[in-house]
Amino acid sequence: MKYDFLDNTLLSRLGSLPIEARAPMLGNVAGKHRSPHRGSSVEFAEYRKYVPGDDTRRLDWKAFARSDRFYIKEFEADTNLRAYFVVDASGSMNFAGRGEAKIQFARRIAAALSYLLVNQGDAAGLSICTDKLHLEVPPSRRAAHLERLFSTLGALTPAGPTGLIHALHTIAEKVSQRAFVVILSDLFTEPAALSDALQHLRYRKHDIAVFHLLDPQELGFEFDRPHRFVDMEDNTALVVEPNLIADEYKAALRDFLTAVRAKCHDAAADYQMVLTDAPLEPLLREFLTARLPKSKH
Amino acid sequence: MLFLNPLLLWFLAAASIPVVIHLLNRRRHKTIHWAAMQFLLKATRESRGKKKLRHFLILACRTLGLAALIFAAARPIVSGLLGWGGGAIDVVVLVLDRSASMEIKPGDGLNSRRQIVLEKVSAAMKNLGSARLVLIDSASGQPQDVPSPEVLAELSSTAATDSSADFATLLTRAAEFLAETPGRAEVWLASDLQTSNWQPENERWAAARASLANLPQKPAVRVLSLSGATAANASIRLLGSRRAADELLVDLEVSRSAESQVAANLPLTTTVNGTRTTETLILPGQSLRFQKRLALPAGSKSGSGWFSIPADGNPRDNAAFFAYGPARPTKSVVVAPPGETADYLALAAAPPGFGNQHTERMDPSQAASLNTAEVSTVLWAAPLPSGAAAEHLSRFLSAGGQVLCFPPGTPPAKPFLESNWGPLTPAENGKYFILKDWNHSDGPLRDGIDGSPLPADRLKAIRRQIPLGDASQLARWEDGEALLTRRIVDRGTLWFLASTPDYTWSNLGDADVLLPLVQRILALGSERFDASYLTTVGSDAAKALPGESRTRLDDFGSPDPANDAYLAGIFKLNDRLLAVNCNAAEDAPEILSREALDAVLTGTGYTLLEQAGQASDPSLSRDVWRAFLIAVLCFFLAEAILCLPKKITVQVIPTLVKAETLKS
Repeated sequence: MKYDFLDNTLLSRLGSLPIEARAPMLGNVAGKHRSPHRGSSVEFAEYRKYVPGDDTRRLDWKAFARSDRFYIKEFEADTNLRAYFVVDASGSMNFAGRGEAKIQFARRIAAALSYLLVNQGDAAGLSICTDKLHLEVPPSRRAAHLERLFSTLGALTPAGPTGLIHALHTIAEKVSQRAFVVILSDLFTEPAALSDALQHLRYRKHDIAVFHLLDPQELGFEFDRPHRFVDMEDNTALVVEPNLIADEYKAALRDFLTAVRAKCHDAAADYQMVLTDAPLEPLLREFLTARLPKSKH
Repeated sequence: MLFLNPLLLWFLAAASIPVVIHLLNRRRHKTIHWAAMQFLLKATRESRGKKKLRHFLILACRTLGLAALIFAAARPIVSGLLGWGGGAIDVVVLVLDRSASMEIKPGDGLNSRRQIVLEKVSAAMKNLGSARLVLIDSASGQPQDVPSPEVLAELSSTAATDSSADFATLLTRAAEFLAETPGRAEVWLASDLQTSNWQPENERWAAARASLANLPQKPAVRVLSLSGATAANASIRLLGSRRAADELLVDLEVSRSAESQVAANLPLTTTVNGTRTTETLILPGQSLRFQKRLALPAGSKSGSGWFSIPADGNPRDNAAFFAYGPARPTKSVVVAPPGETADYLALAAAPPGFGNQHTERMDPSQAASLNTAEVSTVLWAAPLPSGAAAEHLSRFLSAGGQVLCFPPGTPPAKPFLESNWGPLTPAENGKYFILKDWNHSDGPLRDGIDGSPLPADRLKAIRRQIPLGDASQLARWEDGEALLTRRIVDRGTLWFLASTPDYTWSNLGDADVLLPLVQRILALGSERFDASYLTTVGSDAAKALPGESRTRLDDFGSPDPANDAYLAGIFKLNDRLLAVNCNAAEDAPEILSREALDAVLTGTGYTLLEQAGQASDPSLSRDVWRAFLIAVLCFFLAEAILCLPKKITVQVIPTLVKAETLKS
């Protein structure tokens, strides 16, 4: 295998599950996702009164016969989906406690989902953010594009402070058409700032999914002796007796998680907290299944 | 606090082990690169208060627990007596107050203060192990090695005495002893802090303090205060005795505890030359002064006896001893020119019917040939003596004689013993010099023994001469000038009265004032002959002269022959018959105040152990290792409680539950 974050078995098992958008998408080609525009698919949308200028070929003559009024029959327009995978490449994503590194887990998720998207004819792009929006791979639905995505993912090296918030605002401004924005990050930033960024994306009518990556050691905070903690982003050091502050640490983390979850909910983002020692398949299966439209279940 | 195994205290350094481990642990930290620093910083900020305090408490408990364990192993002895000084004591100098007041009991059925403190010192010395105990008792004042603390209370040099104490001298003795004794020393002063025994104004205190300060190794000074509540006590004291023909006039005073207010009956036993009689004395208040007339056997040349009251709180003050010699006439000399004054004075000095009183009249011009060998009092109504007469009178005064001077009516001449007369002053027309106030409790104008005052307010004068010089005033005129002054000259007294018994001067000749005044001064003068039979414990007269042997004549109490020199009683020293009584100051209730104690022991860094004489406090020192072991348990128990993990409160993070579900 060329890329260690690609798991063929996983991809083949998830291949039967489509990735659905929860909101209408605006694509440039026909696809399998709903579009806000009316089109010519087989999916009936609604009747509306005829107005001069409408294409007379779309008049429903049977309705005219019944009601002696002119109605235009409208159908859903299906389009393709453009997904933006926003991968946080700040230093903190390099943390690997008891599980694998968070960045590696982010790679696996991004690679698997982008593969599935391209495989179902949708476009997948990649945004790498460190302290700013570091690198962008524009979305494309060509199979060959996956190679570029994977190589970019494989080559990224997390370092420096996080610029996730700035990156999300930039994406919200730059991507004018509705898209599927998948955020892969540990979200170690201010919940209020994250909320602003998510609301910005929501305002631009993007479908948002958040994979909140955490290491089990970050959650458990179990140490048996004093440690010198060095910040992975700015290298500041702090010597503490973990047993003395474990309660306060956990309380602070608990407050943070609650706040993040609430902010994501407020922004209608699909929030997934991911422990890096958890198996990926159930996680993605759960994620994908939950996104399926109710009628298709 | 003292430690029997002080070397073990070096292991106190081990108490720092928890701190050292803590510091080493902090240095032996593992470095970890951490992503969730924001929570770590927040947690560190929030845990600074309570958690750090808890952590420090745990450290403190561990440290104190170890320290207490080492203290317990070092066998601590604690008490207010031993203070907090560490290390072993080589010498303890016990300065023991053996004065009569130390025999008072703190309560009914208890031992005396002296016995209690001896027991406590003995127990404390046992705890001190091998420390040398040296006793300086207040009676002998000599340092004496005590072979073993067990025998301390049995030594004759710690037994009860009727003596007084002089702590300034005793402390100097202790310093002198320690100057020749190397090692770490302590001086324990066991006393009831009676002011008369400490004499805070005594100039010798400065020397005592200097002696202590100059020691190469300054000793710790501990004062074992034995003051406090006492059992009910009554005391009897001999004020004086005088033989008058076949009678012995004995002035006595019976006192009882200050809190006694109700009249009480007290059996008074009188023993004269072996004959014992008992009568009941009614004590109306706290004290009663009275005169007892004892009929002596006809022809008795000398004899002795004592008055005693029943045993009570202090057995040392229950007897007053007396002795008497042959009866001798009371002789006086009136030195005055012939006239009314001389007549009245002669009458007052030897009134008709007073067969044993004789007076001799002498013209002032013959005063140089005055023979005072058998004379008790000289009544001088002439210009103040000078030359040979003055020398005669000075010697007479030094020997205990009394001289009562009356104004001569002449201008002031040469002073006598720095005393002189002022100018003659007549009263204004139609007015008198009137006696305004006089001392009712002291002096020849004092109230009678039954409390009735002299009719001295009847005294009026139209002429006077004011006494000048350094003397105490016992009576004053209305305008504040002195009427009667007293000046002590060695054993005698020089009296000045500002008017004469002459009707051109005053109505002093009416005898209301003159007779009792002269008779009382005569009695004082006679005491110099009887005084040789009475003395107090510790006085020079009570000491046996070289070659003299001391024999005790009375059988009062259970005297210890080894302490005869310090006991009250009736003694025969070869030919001398002596009634030895306690020093009157021993009955004085004044206790040295803390400020006065600070003043006399200033610079010694003394510690005061109060209530050392209380029986309720079982000992002066205690082996307290058990307390330290309990402290060890308490500290480690507290440490264990503090180390207990906090009760886990399950607070579910919804997202975490989901994540855990995914894991499974």
